[in-house]
Amino acid sequence: MNGPNTHDDERLAEQAKALFDDSVERLDAATLSQLNQRRQAALAEVSNESSGVRWGRWMPATGVAAAAVIAVVMLQGSPVTPLPNGETTTASDFEILIGDDNLDMIEELEFYSWLELAAADSSDNVG
Amino acid sequence: MSACAGVFAVSCEPVTEASTLQTERQLNRFFAEVERRALRIAEIAVRDRDEALDLVQNAMIKLARNYVSRPSDEWTPLFYRILQNGIRDWHRRQSVRNRVMVWFGRTPDNEYDPIAAAPDHNERTPDEHLENAQAMESLESAVGRLPTRQREAFMLRTFEGLDVAGTATAMGISEGSVKTHYSRAVHSLRETLGEHWE
Repeated sequence: MNGPNTHDDERLAEQAKALFDDSVERLDAATLSQLNQRRQAALAEVSNESSGVRWGRWMPATGVAAAAVIAVVMLQGSPVTPLPNGETTTASDFEILIGDDNLDMIEELEFYSWLELAAADSSDNVG
Repeated sequence: MSACAGVFAVSCEPVTEASTLQTERQLNRFFAEVERRALRIAEIAVRDRDEALDLVQNAMIKLARNYVSRPSDEWTPLFYRILQNGIRDWHRRQSVRNRVMVWFGRTPDNEYDPIAAAPDHNERTPDEHLENAQAMESLESAVGRLPTRQREAFMLRTFEGLDVAGTATAMGISEGSVKTHYSRAVHSLRETLGEHWE
Protein backbone atom coordinates (compact mmCIF):
# COMPACT_ATOMS: atom_id res chain seq x y z
CA MET A 1 0.00 0.00 0.00
CA ASN A 2 1.46 3.31 -1.03
CA GLY A 3 -0.25 5.96 1.06
CA PRO A 4 0.81 9.54 1.53
CA ASN A 5 3.02 8.49 4.46
CA THR A 6 5.02 6.16 2.26
CA HIS A 7 5.56 8.96 -0.22
CA ASP A 8 6.68 11.29 2.58
CA ASP A 9 9.00 8.59 3.94
CA GLU A 10 10.61 8.16 0.54
CA ARG A 11 11.04 11.90 0.18
CA LEU A 12 12.66 12.15 3.58
CA ALA A 13 15.03 9.28 2.78
CA GLU A 14 15.97 10.88 -0.55
CA GLN A 15 16.56 14.24 1.07
CA ALA A 16 18.61 12.66 3.88
CA LYS A 17 20.73 10.75 1.39
CA ALA A 18 21.37 13.87 -0.68
CA LEU A 19 22.50 15.77 2.43
CA PHE A 20 24.68 12.89 3.56
CA ASP A 21 26.29 12.58 0.12
CA ASP A 22 26.94 16.30 0.16
CA SER A 23 28.61 16.10 3.56
CA VAL A 24 30.79 13.23 2.31
CA GLU A 25 31.80 15.25 -0.73
CA ARG A 26 32.71 18.21 1.45
CA LEU A 27 35.11 16.31 3.72
CA ASP A 28 38.17 18.51 4.00
CA ALA A 29 41.58 17.64 2.63
CA ALA A 30 43.09 17.06 6.06
CA THR A 31 40.44 14.45 6.89
CA LEU A 32 40.88 12.73 3.54
CA SER A 33 44.62 12.61 4.14
CA GLN A 34 44.05 11.11 7.58
CA LEU A 35 41.74 8.50 6.10
CA ASN A 36 44.38 7.57 3.56
CA GLN A 37 46.99 7.25 6.30
CA ARG A 38 44.67 5.12 8.44
CA ARG A 39 44.00 2.83 5.47
CA GLN A 40 47.69 2.39 4.72
CA ALA A 41 48.42 1.78 8.41
CA ALA A 42 45.67 -0.85 8.60
CA LEU A 43 46.97 -2.67 5.54
CA ALA A 44 50.55 -2.44 6.78
CA GLU A 45 49.66 -3.79 10.20
CA VAL A 46 47.90 -6.84 8.80
CA SER A 47 50.60 -7.34 6.21
CA ASN A 48 53.28 -7.27 8.91
CA GLU A 49 51.33 -9.79 10.96
CA SER A 50 51.21 -12.14 8.00
CA SER A 51 54.98 -11.97 7.67
CA GLY A 52 55.43 -12.78 11.32
CA VAL A 53 56.22 -9.28 12.53
CA ARG A 54 53.66 -8.92 15.29
CA TRP A 55 53.97 -5.75 17.20
CA GLY A 56 53.92 -6.35 20.87
CA ARG A 57 50.81 -5.49 22.82
CA TRP A 58 51.75 -5.68 26.41
CA MET A 59 50.05 -3.90 29.19
CA PRO A 60 51.99 -2.82 32.24
CA ALA A 61 51.14 -5.01 35.20
CA THR A 62 50.37 -1.98 37.33
CA GLY A 63 47.81 -0.82 34.81
CA VAL A 64 46.01 -4.17 34.88
CA ALA A 65 46.09 -4.27 38.66
CA ALA A 66 44.78 -0.72 38.94
CA ALA A 67 41.97 -1.42 36.49
CA ALA A 68 41.06 -4.63 38.31
CA VAL A 69 40.89 -2.92 41.70
CA ILE A 70 38.83 -0.05 40.31
CA ALA A 71 36.48 -2.46 38.56
CA VAL A 72 35.88 -4.64 41.62
CA VAL A 73 35.30 -1.72 43.98
CA MET A 74 33.21 0.31 41.61
CA LEU A 75 31.06 -2.43 40.20
CA GLN A 76 30.11 -4.08 43.48
CA GLY A 77 26.34 -4.08 43.60
CA SER A 78 26.21 -1.84 40.59
CA PRO A 79 23.06 -2.21 38.50
CA VAL A 80 23.14 -2.80 34.77
CA THR A 81 23.71 0.56 33.14
CA PRO A 82 21.46 1.54 30.28
CA LEU A 83 23.10 3.02 27.22
CA PRO A 84 21.98 6.43 26.01
CA ASN A 85 19.46 4.92 23.66
CA GLY A 86 17.87 2.68 26.27
CA GLU A 87 19.88 -0.46 25.56
CA THR A 88 21.64 -2.30 28.30
CA THR A 89 25.26 -3.40 28.28
CA THR A 90 25.91 -7.01 27.40
CA ALA A 91 29.68 -7.13 27.74
CA SER A 92 31.11 -7.38 31.20
CA ASP A 93 32.19 -4.01 32.54
CA PHE A 94 35.23 -5.73 33.95
CA GLU A 95 36.22 -6.98 30.49
CA ILE A 96 35.79 -3.49 29.12
CA LEU A 97 37.89 -1.97 31.85
CA ILE A 98 40.81 -4.35 31.46
CA GLY A 99 40.60 -4.46 27.65
CA ASP A 100 43.95 -3.72 26.07
CA ASP A 101 42.50 -0.77 24.17
CA ASN A 102 41.50 1.08 27.32
CA LEU A 103 44.93 2.16 28.42
CA ASP A 104 44.00 5.73 27.62
CA MET A 105 41.35 5.66 30.32
CA ILE A 106 43.87 4.44 32.91
CA GLU A 107 46.33 7.04 31.76
CA GLU A 108 43.67 9.70 32.21
CA LEU A 109 43.03 8.56 35.76
CA GLU A 110 46.74 8.65 36.51
CA PHE A 111 46.87 12.11 35.02
CA TYR A 112 44.00 13.31 37.20
CA SER A 113 45.71 11.88 40.31
CA TRP A 114 48.92 13.66 39.37
CA LEU A 115 46.99 16.85 38.73
CA GLU A 116 45.43 16.74 42.19
CA LEU A 117 48.79 16.10 43.83
CA ALA A 118 50.38 18.91 41.87
CA ALA A 119 47.54 21.27 42.81
CA ALA A 120 47.85 20.28 46.50
CA ASP A 121 51.62 20.81 46.41
CA SER A 122 51.30 24.23 44.86
CA SER A 123 48.66 25.35 47.36
CA ASP A 124 50.90 24.15 50.22
CA ASN A 125 53.76 26.21 48.86
CA VAL A 126 51.72 29.39 48.54
CA GLY A 127 52.51 31.88 51.27
CA MET B 1 53.82 -24.29 7.41
CA SER B 2 50.51 -24.24 5.57
CA ALA B 3 50.42 -22.16 2.42
CA CYS B 4 47.02 -20.74 3.39
CA ALA B 5 48.23 -19.34 6.67
CA GLY B 6 49.01 -15.90 5.32
CA VAL B 7 46.59 -13.14 6.17
CA PHE B 8 46.10 -12.05 2.59
CA ALA B 9 45.84 -15.60 1.28
CA VAL B 10 42.50 -16.07 -0.44
CA SER B 11 42.71 -19.84 -0.76
CA CYS B 12 44.83 -22.77 0.34
CA GLU B 13 46.64 -22.91 -2.96
CA PRO B 14 50.29 -21.92 -2.92
CA VAL B 15 50.45 -18.23 -2.20
CA THR B 16 52.65 -16.28 -4.51
CA GLU B 17 53.91 -12.81 -3.81
CA ALA B 18 51.89 -11.64 -6.81
CA SER B 19 48.58 -13.02 -5.52
CA THR B 20 49.20 -11.54 -2.09
CA LEU B 21 49.93 -8.20 -3.67
CA GLN B 22 46.81 -8.45 -5.79
CA THR B 23 44.64 -9.15 -2.75
CA GLU B 24 46.24 -6.26 -0.90
CA ARG B 25 45.50 -3.96 -3.83
CA GLN B 26 41.92 -5.23 -3.97
CA LEU B 27 41.51 -4.49 -0.27
CA ASN B 28 43.07 -1.07 -0.70
CA ARG B 29 40.58 -0.25 -3.47
CA PHE B 30 37.67 -1.52 -1.39
CA PHE B 31 38.67 0.52 1.65
CA ALA B 32 39.21 3.60 -0.51
CA GLU B 33 35.68 3.19 -1.85
CA VAL B 34 33.93 2.84 1.50
CA GLU B 35 36.11 4.83 3.90
CA ARG B 36 34.59 8.29 3.48
CA ARG B 37 31.02 7.15 3.91
CA ALA B 38 32.05 4.84 6.74
CA LEU B 39 33.78 7.74 8.48
CA ARG B 40 30.71 9.95 8.28
CA ILE B 41 28.44 7.11 9.48
CA ALA B 42 30.75 6.44 12.44
CA GLU B 43 31.07 10.15 13.12
CA ILE B 44 27.29 10.57 13.29
CA ALA B 45 27.09 7.59 15.67
CA VAL B 46 29.85 8.67 18.08
CA ARG B 47 29.87 12.44 17.38
CA ASP B 48 33.63 12.69 17.29
CA ARG B 49 35.77 12.62 14.17
CA ASP B 50 38.97 11.29 15.75
CA GLU B 51 37.08 8.48 17.44
CA ALA B 52 35.35 7.76 14.12
CA LEU B 53 38.73 7.56 12.37
CA ASP B 54 39.90 5.02 14.96
CA LEU B 55 36.75 2.96 14.51
CA VAL B 56 37.10 2.92 10.72
CA GLN B 57 40.77 1.92 10.93
CA ASN B 58 39.98 -0.88 13.39
CA ALA B 59 37.21 -2.15 11.11
CA MET B 60 39.66 -2.19 8.21
CA ILE B 61 42.18 -4.18 10.24
CA LYS B 62 39.60 -6.71 11.39
CA LEU B 63 38.18 -7.21 7.92
CA ALA B 64 41.66 -7.67 6.44
CA ARG B 65 42.70 -9.97 9.24
CA ASN B 66 39.62 -12.19 9.44
CA TYR B 67 37.46 -11.98 6.34
CA VAL B 68 39.68 -11.33 3.37
CA SER B 69 39.16 -14.90 2.18
CA ARG B 70 35.42 -14.27 1.82
CA PRO B 71 34.08 -13.30 -1.64
CA SER B 72 34.67 -9.61 -2.21
CA ASP B 73 30.97 -8.92 -2.77
CA GLU B 74 30.44 -9.85 0.90
CA TRP B 75 33.02 -7.35 2.11
CA THR B 76 30.68 -4.35 2.32
CA PRO B 77 28.10 -5.86 4.72
CA LEU B 78 30.90 -7.55 6.68
CA PHE B 79 32.83 -4.30 6.97
CA TYR B 80 29.76 -2.47 8.24
CA ARG B 81 28.97 -5.29 10.65
CA ILE B 82 32.46 -4.90 12.14
CA LEU B 83 32.07 -1.13 12.20
CA GLN B 84 28.67 -1.27 13.91
CA ASN B 85 30.04 -3.69 16.52
CA GLY B 86 32.90 -1.28 17.09
CA ILE B 87 30.46 1.61 17.53
CA ARG B 88 28.41 -0.38 20.06
CA ASP B 89 31.56 -1.30 21.99
CA TRP B 90 32.59 2.35 21.93
CA HIS B 91 29.29 3.34 23.55
CA ARG B 92 29.74 0.64 26.20
CA ARG B 93 33.25 1.86 26.98
CA GLN B 94 31.95 5.42 27.23
CA SER B 95 29.31 4.26 29.70
CA VAL B 96 31.91 2.52 31.88
CA ARG B 97 34.30 5.44 31.56
CA ASN B 98 31.59 7.81 32.77
CA ARG B 99 30.96 5.64 35.80
CA VAL B 100 34.67 5.56 36.61
CA MET B 101 34.82 9.34 36.34
CA VAL B 102 31.78 9.72 38.59
CA TRP B 103 33.37 7.30 41.06
CA PHE B 104 36.44 9.55 41.09
CA GLY B 105 34.21 12.56 41.65
CA ARG B 106 34.55 13.80 38.08
CA THR B 107 31.72 14.93 35.90
CA PRO B 108 31.64 13.07 32.61
CA ASP B 109 32.71 15.54 30.02
CA ASN B 110 31.17 13.84 27.03
CA GLU B 111 27.57 14.85 27.54
CA TYR B 112 26.38 15.54 24.09
CA ASP B 113 25.65 19.09 23.18
CA PRO B 114 24.55 19.11 19.55
CA ILE B 115 25.31 22.79 19.16
CA ALA B 116 28.81 22.51 20.62
CA ALA B 117 29.55 19.28 18.75
CA ALA B 118 28.22 20.36 15.39
CA PRO B 119 30.95 21.06 12.88
CA ASP B 120 31.36 24.73 12.18
CA HIS B 121 30.97 25.07 8.46
CA ASN B 122 30.43 28.79 8.60
CA GLU B 123 34.04 29.76 8.05
CA ARG B 124 34.83 27.45 5.18
CA THR B 125 31.47 26.76 3.59
CA PRO B 126 30.24 29.07 0.86
CA ASP B 127 26.93 30.77 1.55
CA GLU B 128 25.08 28.59 -0.89
CA HIS B 129 26.02 25.53 1.20
CA LEU B 130 24.96 27.03 4.49
CA GLU B 131 21.38 25.83 4.26
CA ASN B 132 22.52 22.30 3.44
CA ALA B 133 25.00 22.34 6.29
CA GLN B 134 22.35 23.40 8.76
CA ALA B 135 19.91 20.78 7.47
CA MET B 136 22.64 18.15 7.80
CA GLU B 137 23.32 19.21 11.35
CA SER B 138 19.63 18.83 12.17
CA LEU B 139 19.61 15.43 10.50
CA GLU B 140 22.76 14.27 12.33
CA SER B 141 21.33 15.36 15.62
CA ALA B 142 18.01 13.60 14.95
CA VAL B 143 19.67 10.41 13.68
CA GLY B 144 22.00 10.42 16.68
CA ARG B 145 19.01 10.41 19.02
CA LEU B 146 17.39 7.36 17.40
CA PRO B 147 17.54 4.04 19.24
CA THR B 148 20.68 2.12 18.23
CA ARG B 149 19.02 -0.44 15.95
CA GLN B 150 16.90 2.17 14.19
CA ARG B 151 19.94 4.39 13.69
CA GLU B 152 21.95 1.53 12.23
CA ALA B 153 19.16 0.43 9.90
CA PHE B 154 18.55 3.97 8.68
CA MET B 155 22.22 4.80 8.07
CA LEU B 156 23.04 1.52 6.36
CA ARG B 157 19.95 1.61 4.12
CA THR B 158 19.83 5.33 3.36
CA PHE B 159 23.41 6.59 3.65
CA GLU B 160 25.38 3.53 2.56
CA GLY B 161 22.69 2.28 0.21
CA LEU B 162 22.79 -1.34 1.35
CA ASP B 163 19.75 -3.41 0.38
CA VAL B 164 17.63 -5.14 3.00
CA ALA B 165 19.64 -8.37 2.81
CA GLY B 166 22.98 -6.54 3.09
CA THR B 167 21.70 -4.47 5.98
CA ALA B 168 20.49 -7.64 7.72
CA THR B 169 23.96 -9.16 7.35
CA ALA B 170 25.63 -5.99 8.57
CA MET B 171 23.35 -5.78 11.60
CA GLY B 172 23.21 -9.52 12.31
CA ILE B 173 19.40 -9.56 12.36
CA SER B 174 16.60 -10.82 10.08
CA GLU B 175 15.42 -8.94 7.01
CA GLY B 176 12.01 -8.49 8.63
CA SER B 177 13.62 -6.80 11.62
CA VAL B 178 15.56 -4.50 9.30
CA LYS B 179 12.32 -3.39 7.66
CA THR B 180 10.72 -2.76 11.04
CA HIS B 181 13.66 -0.77 12.43
CA TYR B 182 14.03 1.21 9.21
CA SER B 183 10.32 2.03 9.05
CA ARG B 184 10.28 3.19 12.66
CA ALA B 185 13.40 5.26 12.10
CA VAL B 186 11.96 7.07 9.09
CA HIS B 187 8.67 7.64 10.88
CA SER B 188 10.48 9.07 13.89
CA LEU B 189 12.71 11.29 11.74
CA ARG B 190 9.73 12.54 9.79
CA GLU B 191 8.08 13.57 13.03
CA THR B 192 11.26 15.24 14.28
CA LEU B 193 12.36 16.92 11.08
CA GLY B 194 9.24 17.07 8.97
CA GLU B 195 8.15 20.58 9.67
CA HIS B 196 11.70 21.95 9.21
CA TRP B 197 12.26 20.12 5.96
CA GLU B 198 9.21 21.25 4.03
